[in-house]
Amino acid sequence: MSRVAPGVANSPSMLSSLRRLVLSHEGVLLIILIVSLLLLATQTDRFLTTDNLLNQCRLMAEVGLVALPMTYIIITGGIDLSVGSILGLCAIVLGVAWKNYGLPLEFAIVLCLFTGAAAGAVNGYFITRIGVPPLIMTLATLALYRGFAEGVSQSRSVRGYPEWFYRFGQGELFGIPTQLWFLIAGLLITAFVLSRTVFGRALYAIGHNETGARFAGLAVDRYKMLIYTLSGFMAGLAAFVFVSRVSTTRSDMGTGLELDVIAAVVLGGTSIFGGTGTIIGTALGVVLIQLLKNGLALTGVKGDATIMVIGVVLICSILITNFARSRQATGKAANSDE
Amino acid sequence: MFKRIGISVAIAGLLMGAAQTSHAARWDGADDLPVSPLACGDEEGGAAAAALPYDGGMAINAPDKAGAEITLVDVPKLIGIGYFAATTEGMRQAAEELGNVKVKTDGPTEANIDDQITFLDNFITQGVDGLLFAANDPVAIAPVLRTALKKGVHVVGYDANSEPDAREWFVNQAEFNGIAKSMVDSIVAEIGDDGKFAIVTSTFTTPNQARWIAEMQAYQEKCFPDAQWLETVEAQEDNILSFNQANTLINKYGEDLQGLLGMTSVATPASAEAVTQAGLCGDVAVVGLATPNAMKPYVASDCVKSVVLWNPVDLGYAAVHVMRAVVDGKFAPGATEVSAGRLGTLNVVNGSEVLLGAPYVFNKDNITDFDF
Amino acid sequence: MNTTATASLAPAPQRGVLKRFLRIFASQEAVLLLALVALFVIVGSINPRFVAERNLYSIFLGNAYIAVAAIGMSMVIISGNIDISVGSLIGVLATISGSMAVAGYPLVLCWLVPVLAGVLISSFTGYIVAYLKIPSIVVSLGMLSILKGGLIAVTSGEWITDLPKGYALAQLKPFGVPLPIYFMIVLTLLAALWMRYSNTGRAIYAVGGNAEAARLSGISKQRTIMKVFAIHGGFTGIAAVLFATQLSVIQSTVPPNLELTIITASVVGGVSILGGTGTVIGSTLAAVLLAAIGSSLIFVSVSPYWLRSVQGVLILLTVLADLFRRKRQRKQG
Repeated sequence: MSRVAPGVANSPSMLSSLRRLVLSHEGVLLIILIVSLLLLATQTDRFLTTDNLLNQCRLMAEVGLVALPMTYIIITGGIDLSVGSILGLCAIVLGVAWKNYGLPLEFAIVLCLFTGAAAGAVNGYFITRIGVPPLIMTLATLALYRGFAEGVSQSRSVRGYPEWFYRFGQGELFGIPTQLWFLIAGLLITAFVLSRTVFGRALYAIGHNETGARFAGLAVDRYKMLIYTLSGFMAGLAAFVFVSRVSTTRSDMGTGLELDVIAAVVLGGTSIFGGTGTIIGTALGVVLIQLLKNGLALTGVKGDATIMVIGVVLICSILITNFARSRQATGKAANSDE
Repeated sequence: MFKRIGISVAIAGLLMGAAQTSHAARWDGADDLPVSPLACGDEEGGAAAAALPYDGGMAINAPDKAGAEITLVDVPKLIGIGYFAATTEGMRQAAEELGNVKVKTDGPTEANIDDQITFLDNFITQGVDGLLFAANDPVAIAPVLRTALKKGVHVVGYDANSEPDAREWFVNQAEFNGIAKSMVDSIVAEIGDDGKFAIVTSTFTTPNQARWIAEMQAYQEKCFPDAQWLETVEAQEDNILSFNQANTLINKYGEDLQGLLGMTSVATPASAEAVTQAGLCGDVAVVGLATPNAMKPYVASDCVKSVVLWNPVDLGYAAVHVMRAVVDGKFAPGATEVSAGRLGTLNVVNGSEVLLGAPYVFNKDNITDFDF
Repeated sequence: MNTTATASLAPAPQRGVLKRFLRIFASQEAVLLLALVALFVIVGSINPRFVAERNLYSIFLGNAYIAVAAIGMSMVIISGNIDISVGSLIGVLATISGSMAVAGYPLVLCWLVPVLAGVLISSFTGYIVAYLKIPSIVVSLGMLSILKGGLIAVTSGEWITDLPKGYALAQLKPFGVPLPIYFMIVLTLLAALWMRYSNTGRAIYAVGGNAEAARLSGISKQRTIMKVFAIHGGFTGIAAVLFATQLSVIQSTVPPNLELTIITASVVGGVSILGGTGTVIGSTLAAVLLAAIGSSLIFVSVSPYWLRSVQGVLILLTVLADLFRRKRQRKQG
């Protein structure tokens, strides 16, 4: 908190032309990110190196991939707690289909993605058609999908994939970790769709006022069905990348992923009540958490203290934004003559 | 109303359907490794295994720091549990004794393969002389350890192994089949050759526990074919859940249950507590892996007669000594023994493993001598 | 639906009392009760030991702390908030209680201080939520990290052993019934009555249901939320003491996934996550039902590998049963 404060206090005078950017949540996050980057960089010369940063991108790919559709879902006022379990289930499907049923690995990968989409679609179906609240539905499937993963695998892990398979999780493409390309592509597409298309505007509308959106003729159920399916699909993609990175498949993979993802999304400024949020914010949230974990560890801070710092940053960043917003509101009121 | 009946029928059908699949699959350790039960009774482990060639990895171009001060980082499965607090203490003792070693323990707060990899990755970037680890998954941890070896960082494992070529040495607290023998012998001593027992473990995916159970089953079938294995339940690393699961087993089997085996340092005291609170001390025997401090009340009240464990303080202590010897060049591939301070000389087994010794059985006479 | 519920409760002598009783038990409670009875009948007929007195006590005893924590959680959820840090908080408070007992403080203090500390810590969370207007999920996510990290930093996982004699509150058995069961029942009834008849209790529903209307009718949203979190902290404290005194050693770590278990009990109990509806009786019944499901699956020898799936299906079925009931009610007008 105290580390962050000077940057924020100085910024209005220094960057008055960027006032609006600074006062937005993304601006606040960006400042926190830059300040902590610089602070951490002065503490250790191992932090701000290309190698380290690229490596961190590799490690945050799974959380990042799942956080993108989670942003959509939270914008509509929903939530998906089952993503960690979907990841576990998809990983198991990939492994079991390849090893036990002898399917070609390429096909097993497709099956893994398909399983994710199907698991997400089941969530979506119950939420839209039967009207189960998203939190309850995904709480139930959090247990259910993890259970399927255990049952299908009989708690056995699958190992010994062919060498080419590891390229996706451990290899590089044009000098950049392979999975980062997935993440960048996902990021650009989801950001574009959210900010520039009818689909994106519909999501905001649903989050603001679902009943209103329905009356306005939006196919609310179809949109919701799509985003929950997408969430499952991305969890499947993350499972594929994850299995490739750690070269084994276990039914307990992805346990607790949902909280990491939600923390990143809300840190990114997406309101849990729906209606606001951006993909850029989520991306900043994911990056900030990963770099804080990494940077603090490199400067010798222990793991227990690191998670405390992240907790404090989470609360404080939202506090600062709220504070900034209320100033903006008073500012607007004062300038209303212009 | 019809829906309600329908749902009830569905539940019942589901329960019965699932019930039928029970007992079908035999326990196999959740990996494809063969079991190797030891000889029955007191005879010494049968024919000594043929010495295997060194199958560990090598740190490439590691700087020569023989005798110089080195910085080590220890990444256990997770931090914040008693067992790894004890190994940390052992490492601290070894570092203090050696004087030229600095060791720090840090790791994930949950036994999570992904977080552990992240920690190791960070320490490799930070630049340390050696890594000590206890793997959450032998395969998942391997790539990051290989990276460490490539960058000239020495790697020694303890408690839970990785693939052999991803580390130099592994300090083995006790061989899987040795633990299995101690556990089964201890329980049979209390409940007889034809006793019936059940097991409380952490999760089926935890590699060490899964291997132990597989070896226990093999050993029991070989040596005590009349003993009856009732059931194995999961209880995470959760005290109260273990207590509840042990209670459920007691209630389910009634007098048929003569023994409970706890596979973790959490499950064993909780099982003992369940037996104590049910007033069944003496009727249901409890044997298991556990740390002495947590077991003292139950051993003192005669509810538990024997606790099986290696000394985790010694385990951490040995790991640091092995690392020091590796850095000093005193312990190279092909060596058959290594000296480890107060523990004396430890033997190499299975190619690249350092054996801490036979598992230790704590009982009423000696448990008060230990404080961890 | 209501006919079945009435039938199962029929032994009650006075009709008028029964009617009022039923109204307090809104219908999700009846669904849960029925599911519970069905479970006991079905599993009991497969394995009679399941319904033996001893096993019934075990089911209640080992999970009473979850039910107690779920009472507070239900209030929080009814007010339109959530607390994800509850599991970590229980770990912290249990450790405080145990450390004090070992340090030799009077036992009464060891039982009371955690409750007060719970109120204090939770009020702090409540303050940030109510007055600084940060969504509770964000604050409690942050608190989860802070409490958990802090606990590990302080204890490094050392177990608390050598607890003094008499400390084990949860092991007492007045009149042969384990004490946690009394706690669970009495606290549930008190909380249910309080939620229904006190001004603050009604204010909680109002704030969760329609904050604007609540404001117009003169209810301070901020003070109500603050109060809810303070009370929730108190229940968490009691749950932590029950948790700590259950066994003769305290595992001074955060029990894995405890927050999910507690939240699941609340929502399966019919507490709407959107706020405004639900009762604490439902959440207690749900906590018992979830525990009974876990135990029953072992009794009927479900393959351990499929146990979690079956659990998930049963949770889903309970939720669906409630949804169908509500739809039917709406149709009937």
